[in-house]
Amino acid sequence: MNRNSSQKKEALVESLKLPKDICMGALKVTLTGNREAWIENYRGILEYAEEQILLQGKTCQVCFEGTRLSIDYYTNEDMKISGCIACVRYL
Amino acid sequence: MIEFFKYMKGYLRIRVWGFSPERFMNLCSNKGILLWDIVREGDVYYMCINLKGFRALRPIVRKTGTKVAILEKYGLPFFLPKLLKRKVFVAGLLLAVTFWTVSSRYVWNIELTGNYQVTNDMFDSFLQEQHVAIGMRRNALDIKELEKEIRRQFPQVTWASVRLTGTKLRIDMKENDTPAVEERENAGTEGSDLVAEYDGVIVSMIVRSGVPQVSVGDTVEAGTVMVDGKIPIYNDDATVREYRYVDSDADIVMEYVCTFSDSLPFDYVKKEYTGRVKKKNYLRVGNHELRLPQERPFLVYDSLIRESRPLLFEKLSVPVFWGTCTHREYQNVEYEYTPQEAESELNKKLISFIASLEEKGVQIIEKNVKIDISGDSWAISSEFLVHGPAGKSAATAKPESGETQEDAQ
Repeated sequence: MNRNSSQKKEALVESLKLPKDICMGALKVTLTGNREAWIENYRGILEYAEEQILLQGKTCQVCFEGTRLSIDYYTNEDMKISGCIACVRYL
Repeated sequence: MIEFFKYMKGYLRIRVWGFSPERFMNLCSNKGILLWDIVREGDVYYMCINLKGFRALRPIVRKTGTKVAILEKYGLPFFLPKLLKRKVFVAGLLLAVTFWTVSSRYVWNIELTGNYQVTNDMFDSFLQEQHVAIGMRRNALDIKELEKEIRRQFPQVTWASVRLTGTKLRIDMKENDTPAVEERENAGTEGSDLVAEYDGVIVSMIVRSGVPQVSVGDTVEAGTVMVDGKIPIYNDDATVREYRYVDSDADIVMEYVCTFSDSLPFDYVKKEYTGRVKKKNYLRVGNHELRLPQERPFLVYDSLIRESRPLLFEKLSVPVFWGTCTHREYQNVEYEYTPQEAESELNKKLISFIASLEEKGVQIIEKNVKIDISGDSWAISSEFLVHGPAGKSAATAKPESGETQEDAQ
């Protein structure tokens, strides 16, 4: 039932061509090479270390792995991670 | 730009450690507190936070069980109280600002460009009449009126523009550089002849008005009338009824001899610097010079003054100058010209004479130069055979009254 309703919602959003990050609460990750990443639509930080940053989204978690990771700025809307990003994983 | 606003509002570098720093950051972002440059070192987090956000941290810190310590403070809110403690500095700053604001309301420099016929002195006295002077208030200046007055006062000025840039009054003008055409009316003119300026032979002759009295190949003497300004009008019986007077106009080229001679004394005095110099600095404000009193530096000396205006004052030009005055000692040493030196000196004079001839449109056909000793000096004498314009205007000789009638009879 739940899966069905989410599929319907996705189909509706798709057909109306609405932005998915707003309507579905999806995380938006913008990567520039492997040095910088901008993330929008998240809930908060779960873990922050130099090798790994774990973020909580609305529907999933995303984990940035790499070396010398740091947060350039952090606000309610968006954040910027810089460092050497080796891998982005969705959990 | 963002950095500037951050600086203006003030921010802190803080250290956060304890139970859950991640939660601390999440709560901060939820409350709209901006955090940046977040770095983790071991269990300690370092980050920047703005001053307003820092004041709202207490409940977050209590809730998350973290500890916060200030590492450094940045920005104007922290800098200003420190600055205000230095009273003399602030007073100096205020005084400087006041000085510049007040002095920028006056005209401190007048720059004049584009004037050739109107000399600077003429213009200075004109400006004095108009009560425009260095040190006057900027708002007392009526630019439009001044422009009009320049054109009214100097008819040769065809265009004038007055601009006030900073404290500098720039006056640009354009003068009418085409020669003023004298309106000659043939009717009623007294008439003029063209007479020979030199003794010589006429090489070419183009007459535009008047009656030619000589022809190409003729030998004429200085003063001979070459083109007559009175045109005879004949009766049917070939007698002169009357004369019509015109200003004769012709291009006449003559071949004539011109000479040049000059002399140079045997010895001359040359300054020889001994190498001893004394430098003095001075400051000039307007026409007042501030310098240390000084005795006569050397027995015989000349002075080299190098003056400069501070660069900042270029736009806001207050009449303050500084400079150095270098006194250089020298001796007057007498030398004698060697024949080579004398020759080259005299040749220089000759070349400048030839250049002046060429400027007049004279063509040199033959030249004969002799450098010799005459008496107690070197002398140069030269003869040139030249082709050049030779004709000056002179009033037409009028026939005595009744002459025409007699002729007619």
